Amino acid sequence: MNPTVLSENVNVKHVQETSLPLRQNWPTVVKRTVKEYYIYFVLAFVVVVFSVAKLDEVALFERGHFLSPDNIINLLRSAVPILTLSGAFTLLMISGYIDLSIGSAMSLSAVVFALMVLSGFGFLFALIVTLIVGIGMGILNGYLVMKLRITPVIATLVTLSLYKGIALLIVPDGLSAIKGNAEHPMPAWINNYARQDVLLGLPLAFYVAVLAIVALIMVQKKTILGKYAAAIGGNPTAAALSGINAVLIVWLLYIIVGFFAALAGVARASFMSLGDPLSGDGMELAVIIAVLLGGTAFSGGEGSVAKSVVGAMIIISVTVGMLTVIPAYWQTFAMGSVLLIAAALNHYLQEELKT
Amino acid sequence: MGIIKQVSRKPSFGDHMSNESFITLLMIGVLFVLFSIAAIFVPNFYQPQNMLNLITNNWFIVIIGIGVTFLLITGNFDLSVGGVIALTGVLAVYFSQTANASQNELANGLGLPYGVAVVLALLGAMSIGALNAFFVVRLKVPSIIVTLGTMMFARGIAQVITQGAQRNTSLPSEFGLVGNLALPGTSIKLSVLIMLILLVIAFIFERRTAAGRRTYLIGANADAARLSGVKVGRHLTVLFIISALLAGITGILLASEFKAGVSSRALGYEFDALVVTLLGGVSIMGGFGSVLGMLVGALILSVVTSAATGLLLSPDWQFTLKAIAVFIAIMAQGFALSRRKS
Amino acid sequence: MEVTENVLEIRNLVKDFPGVRAVNNVSFDIKRNTVHCLVGENGAGKSTLIKILTGAYNRTSGTTLLNGEAYNPHNPREAREKGISTLFQELNVVDQLTVEENLTLGMEDTTFGFLRKTDKINKMISVMNSIEPSVRPWQRVSTLSVAQKQIVEIAKAAATESNIIIMDEPTAAISEREIERLFTIIQRLREQNVTVIYISHRLDEIFEIGDYVTVMRDGKHIDTKPLSEVKDRAELIKMMIGKTVFEQYTPKEETAQEVVLQVRNLSNHKLKDISFDVRAGEIVGFYGLVGAGKTEIARAIYGADRYEGEILFNGKKLQPAPDKAIAAGIALVPEERRSQGLFTILTIRSNVPVMNLEKISRHGFINSAAERNITAEYIDKLRIVTDSAEKEASKLSGGNQQKVVLAKCLFADADLLMLDEPTRGVDVGAKSEIYSIIRQLSYEGKSIMIFSSELPEIMNLCDTIYLLFDGSLKATIPNGDDVDSEQIIHIVTGGE
Repeated sequence: MNPTVLSENVNVKHVQETSLPLRQNWPTVVKRTVKEYYIYFVLAFVVVVFSVAKLDEVALFERGHFLSPDNIINLLRSAVPILTLSGAFTLLMISGYIDLSIGSAMSLSAVVFALMVLSGFGFLFALIVTLIVGIGMGILNGYLVMKLRITPVIATLVTLSLYKGIALLIVPDGLSAIKGNAEHPMPAWINNYARQDVLLGLPLAFYVAVLAIVALIMVQKKTILGKYAAAIGGNPTAAALSGINAVLIVWLLYIIVGFFAALAGVARASFMSLGDPLSGDGMELAVIIAVLLGGTAFSGGEGSVAKSVVGAMIIISVTVGMLTVIPAYWQTFAMGSVLLIAAALNHYLQEELKT
Repeated sequence: MGIIKQVSRKPSFGDHMSNESFITLLMIGVLFVLFSIAAIFVPNFYQPQNMLNLITNNWFIVIIGIGVTFLLITGNFDLSVGGVIALTGVLAVYFSQTANASQNELANGLGLPYGVAVVLALLGAMSIGALNAFFVVRLKVPSIIVTLGTMMFARGIAQVITQGAQRNTSLPSEFGLVGNLALPGTSIKLSVLIMLILLVIAFIFERRTAAGRRTYLIGANADAARLSGVKVGRHLTVLFIISALLAGITGILLASEFKAGVSSRALGYEFDALVVTLLGGVSIMGGFGSVLGMLVGALILSVVTSAATGLLLSPDWQFTLKAIAVFIAIMAQGFALSRRKS
Repeated sequence: MEVTENVLEIRNLVKDFPGVRAVNNVSFDIKRNTVHCLVGENGAGKSTLIKILTGAYNRTSGTTLLNGEAYNPHNPREAREKGISTLFQELNVVDQLTVEENLTLGMEDTTFGFLRKTDKINKMISVMNSIEPSVRPWQRVSTLSVAQKQIVEIAKAAATESNIIIMDEPTAAISEREIERLFTIIQRLREQNVTVIYISHRLDEIFEIGDYVTVMRDGKHIDTKPLSEVKDRAELIKMMIGKTVFEQYTPKEETAQEVVLQVRNLSNHKLKDISFDVRAGEIVGFYGLVGAGKTEIARAIYGADRYEGEILFNGKKLQPAPDKAIAAGIALVPEERRSQGLFTILTIRSNVPVMNLEKISRHGFINSAAERNITAEYIDKLRIVTDSAEKEASKLSGGNQQKVVLAKCLFADADLLMLDEPTRGVDVGAKSEIYSIIRQLSYEGKSIMIFSSELPEIMNLCDTIYLLFDGSLKATIPNGDDVDSEQIIHIVTGGE
């Protein structure tokens, strides 16, 4: 083409965009840093508060103090279910979906596991059967949400009721849980998994939870599944254009959540030596709080398994620590307040610190 | 102007019926079928007294169902209603218990006159609604998360006031009145009458008022509603407060009926309220549903649970039955609507 | 594979929509390794043609040959796999991922699900860096500018050996310097055996970057020729407008009406210092390209977007909120009919009165009889084709949906009616009906503001025409016989 034709028309006025995103000013850097690390400060703050709270009565690290070895071991043992669950739940939230049935799924798994053990099956067999049940629950959730296209909240609220109902039905009438009695006692070894000291005073269940966390951090950072979850939650259109099968991926995430809910249920049943059909009640709330504290976006696309774990530690520290300071009946109020604060904080971090 | 007249086909049955009415009719049909089945298998099911019970037994679910229905029509959840019922009941008791009555902390209240206590307790309920609205409207947090939080927050306050149990002593005699009052010559409670009155008001609100119409507009298309001059945030705020107020009224009535403020009152009612709205065809996608449908949903739930009891199924069956009923309802409604459209 | 001279051959392509033939028997060739520009006015059929090529629409009839083989994609993914990538205006990158993750999205090499760092990634990064060295692979895409995001998409397309990259108005949202860079990239792509189909309204760009140009008008193919054979902008503009006989604009009798709306120094994220007046009974038109700021002016006046500056209506300052604007007597027919104007799942009867529910209510109670009557009245008056007022709005045709939105606004009893793209996606019959309604309203003394990217519409209706480019008011032209449509196009496409 002939360039001389153009010469008089080249002076086109276009939008003068001055904002170069790579050039950051100081406040942005500070904001980013706060957003990145605030959760560790929150955890540190919580620990310090409970450490100082009763210093007039108990000396630092002494028996009964928040930071005493006993208390720390107790804290970590009770953290096992939420630690087991929060990682998988985070991945699901990153993909923009939610599963409110995890608490019930955990209860049902605990009941199934206790029943298997009581019926005379060995640990490994009972564990495998329970995990298969968990996978089945994940398959059902995924089917309702991804295949039948029922809104995730509704679908999983309904399965919440379903799994809880089945757990209640499995427990014989007149009993509140699957447990042993005089002529048919629960084998004592059921306790080993979640109570027996394996290393540093902590049981196998704890190390399994740690392993689960490490595995899920790897899944998020190193595998195609973690990447696709973020893509689906971040920009579903772009994900579809790139050939990502969102139905398959999210369904798989629901199954993973179901699997870990079952694992958490096994830990709970082992810890309590019985299968309580209500033992997982409220777990969905605790996990949601942990994940929100960890900064995972409501709308998906963004989040971190590692930070959800820190969020989970905050929740557990608050619940365990509070018991040393105030009566147990403050628990619900505290959890509700923490959830609202976490939601507000999460909103602030997502919206106000967007740049 | 020359008018181009379309050749209009002869309208067939149901053509001009709205989809809401269509679904409500469908669910009435389901109700009828379920009732017939239950009447065949369950002894004494069709007795007048039992049928009356079916309508009156679930009055509290229907009352909170009204607020939940309107919020669901706008595309929002309210899971805080159960907690608000407990909170209001406990507050009403605490406010009207005699001050310094005994050594027992749980017997000491504020000694306010009953009327004042009720009003203050209802204000407490409404402030939970306002809290919901603040988080949903101003902070744009999804309603499901917010109301899960306020569910615990409200119940938590109730537990703190009752130290995790209940308050039921040193109450004035008029405290137990409204909840136990029966209509002259019948066994029908005042609470049921209140439910009916609230239903009528809700029905008129839905069908006849501009505010009722705006509720649907927000659910159908919130952007278009704003551009059409609807004050979306203010409307949602009012609806959240109304929902909490209805839960508060329920809480007052239940506390009066049992002459106690129990912190574990109404556990899981938020789920039942959601179940009856879903059974009644209200859609979370927004802009769709009706109070009448919710009432039919409540009756279906009544029939199912009562038939289960009649068949000597253990109460443990209720969670499973509710879940299955909702699944079937959602699938059937979706299927029926898609067939109707084609 | 035999290398054909033409990478893409389009033969007798037709696409029908209800009531409209959007693409009418179009045939032309696109030569290999060229930059092929596609121009035409809004509604000329360009975007429909592109959507057929990218698989977003199914054709009604006709064939397309890609590299001499039949090509008929069913979705954009299939198109991409066959070698046609598209740079949509709505960019398809995932903000939350890094540049590298976006480049490889959907094409990862894995071992047991673990992502592997392979030569493919390095190749993609080097392709990207050859295009644009400043983008780092570890950067999060959310920290990139629009232009840089485009580069990521282009790099992805280039690295996946796309034969053709379609660019749909790529310069609409990027700065001048970034445009220069984009053009360098396009040149380089051509050297690397990529064909670029370039769509833009900015004619200078066409001359700067294009090898060939295809002009479309009214769904038809007008001409395809090398740009070296095109004399100047004027020739191109002539081809675009053709001999369109504008429906005669009839000037009104000059009676000095009072000023109703005064806009002073209106500025926001898009608009730059805009001032104008609107008089009672006047129809004013705002004409400009996509992204010129038309919608933003309407939304600012309506209070739907934030702004700086002053807007006076009937002498009083307008409070910036839609409900306040409606109460003051302003109504807006929004650009996006289905997502902003209409309640598609509700009936016509429920839609019509929404902007003025008070008018059919007493003490907050809706009078159903009045509601039915006014709905029937508007169905009749605007000739909305439906068998019942109880029909869901979603079941109406585009033209009738637009009439429902119009009815909504008319029922609001507004003194000032703003119409944003009032006839987009509306068939010819409904179009002229809407025009006559607009004229009628103006005779009744209402002020009308029309925001349109269709010049005939503006020339046909408006008493005063405002020309916009890049958020600024470039010219004000009183309509009449001496208005030069070529001059107008010259101004709104960025000419001085």
